[in-house]
Amino acid sequence: MQTQTFELNMGPQHPATHGVLRVVLELDGEIVVKATPVIGYLHRGIEKICENRTYVQSIPFTDRMDYLSGMNNNLAICQTIEKLMALEIPERAEYIRVITAELNRIASHMITIGVLALDLGGWTGMVYCFRDRERILDLFNSLCGARMTFNYIRVGGVGWDLPEGWLDECRRFLKDLPEMLKTYEDLISGNEILQMRLKGVAPLSAERAIAMSASGAVLRASGVDYDVRKANPYGIYDRFDFEVPLGTSGDNWDRFYLRYLEIIQSARIIEQALEQIPEGPVMAKVPKMIKPPVGEVYHHVENPRGDLGFYLVSDGSPKPYRWHARRPAMINLQLLDELSRGTFIADVVATLGTLDPVLGEVDC
Amino acid sequence: MLGKSLLTGMAVTLRELFRKNVTEEYPEVQPELGDRFRGGRLDLVVSKCIACGLCMNNCPNGSIKLKTVKDENNKRQLDSYIHNTGLCLFCNLCVEVCPTKCLVWSKEFAYAGYSRDALVFDCMALDRERIHREEQSQTTEEKG
Ligand code: SF4
Ligand code: SF4
Repeated sequence: MQTQTFELNMGPQHPATHGVLRVVLELDGEIVVKATPVIGYLHRGIEKICENRTYVQSIPFTDRMDYLSGMNNNLAICQTIEKLMALEIPERAEYIRVITAELNRIASHMITIGVLALDLGGWTGMVYCFRDRERILDLFNSLCGARMTFNYIRVGGVGWDLPEGWLDECRRFLKDLPEMLKTYEDLISGNEILQMRLKGVAPLSAERAIAMSASGAVLRASGVDYDVRKANPYGIYDRFDFEVPLGTSGDNWDRFYLRYLEIIQSARIIEQALEQIPEGPVMAKVPKMIKPPVGEVYHHVENPRGDLGFYLVSDGSPKPYRWHARRPAMINLQLLDELSRGTFIADVVATLGTLDPVLGEVDC
Repeated sequence: MLGKSLLTGMAVTLRELFRKNVTEEYPEVQPELGDRFRGGRLDLVVSKCIACGLCMNNCPNGSIKLKTVKDENNKRQLDSYIHNTGLCLFCNLCVEVCPTKCLVWSKEFAYAGYSRDALVFDCMALDRERIHREEQSQTTEEKG
């Protein structure tokens, strides 16, 4: 009997596509023959916008790229500009940066875990992750007055010093974190149905992961030990003792569970930073109008989604000549087709969830 | 044992059932947003503004539009001051750059309207209203 494949649109308006992603699926019954991500629905032209802004003005736009991890984006662009200007940062600011960046990593991974459970039909799991993430957002709100679009980390330091009692609140959160993680373990990752849905599905070999320039948890799930915080330490990350969790088979389960393990490591970093944080200023002396010397610079950091890099070219004027972002979510998403082929249509949602793109960053 | 993890999951749900609620009784109880919260309109204190235009020039998204005029002593004065919150990134750069600290956030967060015009605020008119309200409450206090 002769059969025909047929095309099905997944998205763009569908919650399981994590934003506005359209995937054109070519299906043979329930089996995926080809999955083509169609991107651009959220394109705002941030790169071009930022080339028409001053260096400082481009920071709030990075909040709107990967909007689940604004702090890490702020950190990346600020360190890039500082590298271009050869600027030294006060110690206290460095510690605050690490604490906020790692807190944001935890918040972002909580979303990844919760939303994956939701994508696979487990409403309850999502609710607990969102509830706990709220604690972090509250911390950020009391710190800088915004819950997601922070513009907190600035060129030369951070925008505000820690308010009174903030460190204690942060410690309380860390104390409660193991219980939260236990809840996720009991409810989500320990769940047999979830495990059966994820284990062995859409494996990615280390060679292919490297060939496709995957980064972040997607790369490490395939067993490649590459974390920018270790491989090319930025800021003061070389002072902290933490491990880089690795997967073995690179399947959906590994990609998912790695995020869970990374939360534990981030908490370890924050604990150490809370112990070591000194008193002092939080802002270096920065000229009112930033005009970096002529030159170019590339700097990358470990975002919750992977290796986020910024490339800036300065022509000596107050505005960058070129402002380019290497967006990990965009690059990781390219794996969707390869990973989805031969799997069931229901697994595409899971694969997409473990690749964890944020469409604000994919489209930029 | 097959199905054991499902029972563990159920136990979590059961335990949570007896916990205190985390949801807020909004809108009866308004959330505590803290003094650094950035949101709402920009409340401009016109009497303190020196019409330097730094806020407008520092705004990354062209959200502030102000016009100035020269008065009889050749001093610059505000003619109009419009804050378009629909374009605002709430980045705080305008508030931070203001040399006389005459910009503050009004801190409300629920001001959705039926058209885009509802997001555009005339800060000078709002300031006049505020002064008027203060004067009125003062006179009622004196009378009372
Ligand atoms: S908060 Fe930012 S975007 Fe909004 S008016 Fe001020 S400078 Fe402009
Ligand atoms: S920066 Fe302040 S003083 Fe200058 S025009 Fe704006 S509001 Fe007025």
